[in-house]
Amino acid sequence: MTTLTHAYRQAPWRVQRQIVVTVLAVVVFAAMVAALYLSVTARTAILGREIQELSAEIEDIRQENADLTIELARLRSTAEMERRARAMGFSPAEPEDLEYIFVPGYWPSGPVSFASHTSHSGAIAVPAAYTQSLFDWFLDRLQETTPAGNRTSQR
Amino acid sequence: MRKQFIWRSQAVAVLFTFLGFSVVAQVVRIQNSPEAAAFLRQQSDRYAGQFRTIYPTRGEIYDRNGYLLAGNQTVYEIGVDLKAMRNPHTIALALSTHLGMDYNRVYEKLINPPQGQVYLPITDFVPAQKAEVLQQLIESLSEQPTDSSAADSPSLAGLEIRSHLQRSYPEGDLAANVLGFVTREGRGYFGVEEKYNDNLAGKPVTVWVPLDPNRVEETPKIPQGATLILTLDRELQLAVEDILAQALYRTGAENGTIVVMDPRNGEILAMASTPRMDLNRFWNYDSVYQNASEFNRAVSMPYEPGSVMKVFTMAAALDTGVVSPDTPFLDTGAIQVGGVTIKNWDEQAWGPQTMLGCMQHSLNVCLAWVATQLGPQTFYDYMQRFGFGHATGIDLAGEATGRLKVPGDADWYPVDLGTNAFGQGVTVTPIQMVMAASAITNGGRMVTPHVLYAMVEEGQQYNTPIQYAGTPISAEAAHLLSEMLAVSLEGESSAALVPGYRVAGKTGTAQIPTPYGYYTSGITNASFIGWGPVDDPRFIVYVWLEKPTSSIWGSETAAPVFAEVVRKTVVLLDIPPDAVRQKTMER
Repeated sequence: MTTLTHAYRQAPWRVQRQIVVTVLAVVVFAAMVAALYLSVTARTAILGREIQELSAEIEDIRQENADLTIELARLRSTAEMERRARAMGFSPAEPEDLEYIFVPGYWPSGPVSFASHTSHSGAIAVPAAYTQSLFDWFLDRLQETTPAGNRTSQR
Repeated sequence: MRKQFIWRSQAVAVLFTFLGFSVVAQVVRIQNSPEAAAFLRQQSDRYAGQFRTIYPTRGEIYDRNGYLLAGNQTVYEIGVDLKAMRNPHTIALALSTHLGMDYNRVYEKLINPPQGQVYLPITDFVPAQKAEVLQQLIESLSEQPTDSSAADSPSLAGLEIRSHLQRSYPEGDLAANVLGFVTREGRGYFGVEEKYNDNLAGKPVTVWVPLDPNRVEETPKIPQGATLILTLDRELQLAVEDILAQALYRTGAENGTIVVMDPRNGEILAMASTPRMDLNRFWNYDSVYQNASEFNRAVSMPYEPGSVMKVFTMAAALDTGVVSPDTPFLDTGAIQVGGVTIKNWDEQAWGPQTMLGCMQHSLNVCLAWVATQLGPQTFYDYMQRFGFGHATGIDLAGEATGRLKVPGDADWYPVDLGTNAFGQGVTVTPIQMVMAASAITNGGRMVTPHVLYAMVEEGQQYNTPIQYAGTPISAEAAHLLSEMLAVSLEGESSAALVPGYRVAGKTGTAQIPTPYGYYTSGITNASFIGWGPVDDPRFIVYVWLEKPTSSIWGSETAAPVFAEVVRKTVVLLDIPPDAVRQKTMER
């Protein structure tokens, strides 16, 4: 055994191979880390560019939207509508031209409302799976499986 | 052989060791020196990105039915990236040809740019069509093979076209006096644009925009400027402006104002004033207006209203019980107040009258007598309660207060009590008159006029609540007066009457004071204030024509204009004739 160990240690090619393999292992490891880093960095950079392009696109769309709103307003402007109405043979109504009819339950509409019913939160909604506990999930499932008629509507 | 290289190896080893220690020493130094660390961080940040101020898109303005009155449109800034510029001659030539700019000035600017500047703005607010032509030219020249070594080869390299939004008014001059305008610097002037400038403009936010794609983040959401919904009805506004233009042509008046308000809530439905300008060409302001008060005479131009003021004198007298509609008065054609003789408009004596007759025939002598019966204290108390001499608080920029002299003022004389009673010697704005009249239509309660129906911010709509401005007279006095004015119009077969609708109102013809204190003869301000339907008022209309030439009398110039406005108003606001409405209410 001692002779074997001695012979192994004495063999110079074995020592060299050991060093080469170690160095190679380090190089391979470093290359893997570098490749991984490069991959992540490249993906981040691509996403960054995409964000920049999307921001520019949002601005372009916003301007286009404003232009279209103005164009539509010009097409619906009083001067344009009057010109088109007259061309179609209409004339402004006078009080004598009107006939009023009693319609039970009719309530004239008021001024326009621009209130939006959609959420304007800028944050991305986190799925419930990330926030609810197992108990919450279990309760949700239970409620979904319960027939609608059995639920109480009071809250 | 190997020994020969030992010293060299040692030298290299020492050098690398030294470099290593230097790096470590520098790291330690920076770590322990906040100034050095801050400096290096600053240097790093300087090239890593830039601070950019993001201006929110200016909010839009709509009428009460959702028609756009003011929006935004893309325009273009033309500039040159000086580092990329190859041929200033081509650029100057292109800009002079397609944008009509002066070639020499542009060329001079390009070859002598300010020191250290890398981007040179040439012009701004270029419309889309022209910018598109330039863009096509840039693209066509960039596609042509050019000899880069030849300095004079045509090139538009470096010419940049950047887009941004600018205020635009799709209706041109419609409601110009109410809207106001926005300059190229983005600031609102006059009307709603000035009054709500901060809300419309929003809050600019400065954000750090990294140039390194690795550090790019989503631009924070900047809230847009608030959207405004006005109380104006676009169709009625157009009709009123047309009626005013025709009235000026017909009567020869220099200028005019018409205000239509819903007396139940103070909503201004239409407000027309001359002259008006196309808001898309706001730079013409100086050539259209002599001074700022002309932009919207309805709120900014005080004047002596004349006999329309008698409405409020009579209101005060009825409320205090000094007179009733049947109180007799013997009109002798003249009355002494404060040592000065006051006469009727025709300088005639009208004999025995009642208060109804005094209003019907617009007798100055009678109303001056009524004011003396009230006494100065009570009279001016009522006038102040009606809001004269104070701003109404309407949400439009540049409101004037007018002038109501009161006892104790250096320039008040006892005769003023008599003249003020019929609207001379006191200045008011049309909007003050409309607000004061709302007390008579609302059972004594006065409402503050407003043009903002609602403000929309981030999806939430905030409606303007009704604001009351006091109760100057009782409900009984208001009803009595309204009835008196309706009967007096019917009694004289006024041109203000509208078939099918019972209206109440009063004419006014006022002499115009000169800068020297005397009144001109033959030149007047003609006015009319009226409302209807009398039993359930849905509108107050005020008409003011300045210096009409066809006739000096309000009854012949302003009263027919009132009738025309009412005829349009009842159609556009779906107000059925009294008979139909009363029949409907009975069901």
